[in-house]
Amino acid sequence: MTLTEVKHTPAGPSPAAASVRPLRQRLTALSPFLYLLPALLALAGILGYPVLDAMWTSLKHSVPTDPSADRFTGLANYRAIFGNGAFWTALGHTGLWALANLVLQLTLGFGLALLMHQKLAGRALFRSVVIIPWVVPSVVVAVIWRYLLDPTSGPLNQFLMSTGLTQEPVLWLANQATAMPVVILLSVWKWTPFVAVILLAGLQAIPEELHEAAMIDGAGLWGRLLHVVIPGIRTSLTLASLLTVGYSVNNFNGIWLFTQGGPIGATETLTTFAYRKAFTEFDFGSAAAVAVVLFAGLFIVSTAYFFSVEGRKGRKL
Amino acid sequence: MTTQRRLGRLGLYGGMLVALVVFVGPFLYAVLSSLKQPSELNGVVKSFLPGTLYTENYTNLFRTSNFPVYLVNSLVVAVVTTALSLLIAILAGYALARFKFAGNRLLLLSVVNMQMFPAVLMAVPLYKILRELDMLNSRTGLTIVYVTLALPFCIWMMRNYFLTVPIEVEEAALIDGCNMFTALWRVALPPALPGAAAAGAFCVVNVWDEFLYANTFIDSDENRTLSVGLNSLIGQYTTDWGQLLAGGVVMTIPVVIIFAFLQRYLTQIAGGGVKG
Repeated sequence: MTLTEVKHTPAGPSPAAASVRPLRQRLTALSPFLYLLPALLALAGILGYPVLDAMWTSLKHSVPTDPSADRFTGLANYRAIFGNGAFWTALGHTGLWALANLVLQLTLGFGLALLMHQKLAGRALFRSVVIIPWVVPSVVVAVIWRYLLDPTSGPLNQFLMSTGLTQEPVLWLANQATAMPVVILLSVWKWTPFVAVILLAGLQAIPEELHEAAMIDGAGLWGRLLHVVIPGIRTSLTLASLLTVGYSVNNFNGIWLFTQGGPIGATETLTTFAYRKAFTEFDFGSAAAVAVVLFAGLFIVSTAYFFSVEGRKGRKL
Repeated sequence: MTTQRRLGRLGLYGGMLVALVVFVGPFLYAVLSSLKQPSELNGVVKSFLPGTLYTENYTNLFRTSNFPVYLVNSLVVAVVTTALSLLIAILAGYALARFKFAGNRLLLLSVVNMQMFPAVLMAVPLYKILRELDMLNSRTGLTIVYVTLALPFCIWMMRNYFLTVPIEVEEAALIDGCNMFTALWRVALPPALPGAAAAGAFCVVNVWDEFLYANTFIDSDENRTLSVGLNSLIGQYTTDWGQLLAGGVVMTIPVVIIFAFLQRYLTQIAGGGVKG
């Protein structure tokens, strides 16, 4: 491997360039690797190896109770999951879940970011409290909403029944028709402030002069939104979209803590499907196969994310 | 101010109010409910505000449930995870910021990719590794896993902060007789401390939020962390919402404090990808 220092000074001899020399003298080609060594060891052991192991496991018959019973079965696990209707249902749910989260979080997050950006009284306070759903731990979000939506003691059902809107309590999370829309809305509730914070960073980067210039040109509110604001936060929008898709597909807590994928599979996504295969049905091989399929899809998303982020920074490395 | 602009302002304040009701309302209602008596919580007595300040949900939580154990476990795991992650990430981030070598870009790409790793993909192999190391059902095993999961983000954060520190100051320190290592700790690190603070906050928040691995790897009550512990109380006391909500409120306090301190770095934490 070749090694050169990052150039922080303009090319050509300068006082600064002269002072670089002592640094270079002390560096052997090895030293950066010494700094990286602890990180590399940890990442290789707990991230790199497990990924390879997951791929390898997906080609085996493997159960948690008896490690010695592992045997290579080729693509049998993949054939089994692709032939399983529940897998395709879960894939469809993952698609619906990710798409709904993306559209709702981005639209609402954009609106919220615009509100957070306005020069209004109480802006600082508004900004710090409106992000509460994002900050609250997932398990606490689940406790709060499971109480609010509870069939007997939950305030929502009590309100609905006292006003006569429903005669029977609505089993929001236990009804096949309502479970999916409800967990989607709860996930949107938790993550919209996060999207808003990312978009707010984009809004803050738009120079004030652009707004003024557009106003002088006679642009109205919509004109400025379309021609100044949206182009101005394009990178933030890309970033937020990619993160939202990636994280939604991965989101386990947002479903498991409310419905565990039920009722009768109504909220089962690939994530809960794989988890169930592994730790309820004790079929490590199939679970790994599902996870590998999921990983392959996400790899594409996060690579795109990387290039969009690095592209914004002018490919400075 | 024209009437139109005044109306616009009114609309904006209206929007703020709606946003507050939607995003803060449910949490606030939960805090209020944690101070209600059982009869109010069950809806036998209808009340929006607690009739009296009923603190027994909180005292019960600490006296009759295992919540204090979960809290201590989470604190221990969070502190050790944060310390180890920061130490490793400072070294690695410094190397990535200061040296350009073949494979640097690839390494960064993998760092970013790791941020999006499906936790489910890792659950099976990590379970197998911890079983081999005899570290299933141990806080040490959980901590090792958490350190590694936090590393990609922490390294990324530290590298970006070190990039903004001018290299000339370190070089001057080297001329003055510092060695590379001292130059890193004494000269390069202090201006990059905000990055370390944000990375540390990321670690704590992640440990606090993580459920999947804690639920899979830990199976005895005395080793449980808060997320799994609180969730287990749901099954145990299906109707004791007061205690559960009190537990939720207590669990949220440390995270809220951290975020309040780190207001200024919020956008960076979000951009770096905190989403547990």
